[in-house]
Amino acid sequence: MPSRTRSRSIAVLVALVASALVGCGAFDDGDDGTETRPFEADNGTVEIPVDPQRIVATGYAVPGLIELGAPLVGRSGFRRGLPLMSEEDRAAYGEIAEIAGDTNTEMDYEAIDRLGPDLIIIGVPAPALKRIDMDRLASIAPTVAVGPDLPSQWRELTYRHADAAGVLDRYDELKAAYEERAAELKAKYADVLDGLRFGHLGAYGEVSQGQFQREYGGSWGTNIVEDLGVTYYGEVARKGGGARDVSEYPSIEELPSSFADADVITYTLAYDASVPPEVQYAFDSPLWDNIPAVVAGKVIPLRFVESTTYKAARRTLDFHDESLSVLLEGS
Amino acid sequence: MLLAVALGALALASIASLCIGAHAIAPREVLDAFVRFGGSDDQLTVRHYRLPRTVLGIAVGAALGVAGALMQTTTRNPLADPGLVGTTAGAGFAITLGAWYGHAGTQHAQLVLAAAGAAIASVLVYAVGRTDPLRLLLSGVALSAVLSGIATGLRLLDPTVLDAVRHWAVGSLAGRERTPFGILVGVLLVALVAAVLLARPLDVVALGGDVSRSLGVNVVAVRTGVLVVVAVLTATATSIAGPIAFVGLLVPHLARMGAGSSTPWLVGLSAVLGPTVLVASDVIARVALSHTELPVGVVTAFVGGPALIWAVRRFGVEAA
Repeated sequence: MPSRTRSRSIAVLVALVASALVGCGAFDDGDDGTETRPFEADNGTVEIPVDPQRIVATGYAVPGLIELGAPLVGRSGFRRGLPLMSEEDRAAYGEIAEIAGDTNTEMDYEAIDRLGPDLIIIGVPAPALKRIDMDRLASIAPTVAVGPDLPSQWRELTYRHADAAGVLDRYDELKAAYEERAAELKAKYADVLDGLRFGHLGAYGEVSQGQFQREYGGSWGTNIVEDLGVTYYGEVARKGGGARDVSEYPSIEELPSSFADADVITYTLAYDASVPPEVQYAFDSPLWDNIPAVVAGKVIPLRFVESTTYKAARRTLDFHDESLSVLLEGS
Repeated sequence: MLLAVALGALALASIASLCIGAHAIAPREVLDAFVRFGGSDDQLTVRHYRLPRTVLGIAVGAALGVAGALMQTTTRNPLADPGLVGTTAGAGFAITLGAWYGHAGTQHAQLVLAAAGAAIASVLVYAVGRTDPLRLLLSGVALSAVLSGIATGLRLLDPTVLDAVRHWAVGSLAGRERTPFGILVGVLLVALVAAVLLARPLDVVALGGDVSRSLGVNVVAVRTGVLVVVAVLTATATSIAGPIAFVGLLVPHLARMGAGSSTPWLVGLSAVLGPTVLVASDVIARVALSHTELPVGVVTAFVGGPALIWAVRRFGVEAA
């Protein structure tokens, strides 16, 4: 073959190979050919499958992804969310393999590996993340950390979990249902809530330290009922990060001053409608009886306040409607 | 002289405990809470929270101080702490076990569990080590290590157990207003009286077995009585307030400054200095941080260590 022809042939061959390599990069396939995309997580930008089929979820990602019907093959415990789940979702929860306890401190990495996930979603707050071996998880499957800083962030969190899991369609449905009901109730209570200042007594006070929990706007006890137009006044004396930016634990001596300006006091009721001991501690205090809102009889229980998904929160709205209806009486 | 000073210090600490807290109350209101009660929030705070807390501090401080004095005298070891008879570890283990089975959710439950655990642990330690002070100490240390190890393991296995126990484990005088500490304070008073009655015979026992017997003192009976009193004092105090470090260890050293080698004076001064140290620590615990209170167990540990070093360097270590 003449040398010029050979050179031209080699040049064409190199060009073809180069084109093939560039084309492969554009599709951004994973090692096994799975199509991936970049996802912004708390642990940086991670390449995750476009359509994951075997997901392991932990923490706050668990209830949301179960409700959304995401393909979970493993999960951490999330017993606190069980009373908030529907029967169908509780059944689904029970059928998924458990790979860590509720606090995610003892994660069974070998069990996760055996499940063969193609995506791991860690839904715990940043402090808890330090106890997880993220490198080890990343060696098993793409791992994204999406956890809350504040209690009210469950809305954004659920979106990001749904996005990572590829189930945004169902997310939009549940969100719309929640917002519709919230808007309806907001209109219902607009007149009676106008100008009222609320204070919330939480259920996580430390009785053994002589403390009660005071919650403000955006906290566990308050963030859902705020969607109905309730306004919680005040803020913590000193921010401590995370939930401590919206709640604090004053001494029981400060009970009167803490609620002095409240027109209405709400308090967290247990799932079974009983009064938690931490709340009862405040009720039993002789200082409680002199608080203006208590004297006026404006003390309202709120149930199922710790919902972290739109489906559970939708149910919470109905309970809040029941609780707030007393304000309509005599108005 | 030291007794008068100690009583004065106790009075001052007690007044501070009534006047100082998370909520600022004018001294006039504090006084009116007792002499002209009108039911205001400030007066209610003084009567329903600060007064019980002060009384509790006095009772628990006296119990730990006297228990420490008796323990160091009986074992002739200046580093002996009343918790060495296994009461603290026994109480902690019982509460942990109760939390494991879901029965330690209330203060009353924790009180009962702690008292039972402390009592059983004391009996076990006494059963093994009653013949000899060193054997007693070693038995207490061994049992405490075993119980603490098991309790730690349970807490690590189940974080909800850790959560139920962690605040009790620090030691605090706060939040105890609703516990039936009237009964427990009564028990402490009886035990303190017994301690005073045992102090003089214990003085003789400190001279040695032969001398004691020649003077007609039943060494075994006295030691047994002392150990029972130490166990009752420590178990009761721990069940109310949780484990409070250093009071039982430090107070006898402070008391020896005025008591010298006299055991009755040591017990008497410890009964006054113990409450002074604990109540003063509790006042510090309320104001040390601007945004929250510390448990008193944190303050006694923080202050007790340097105070003990100071006392030993200043006054030396007399053989108990």
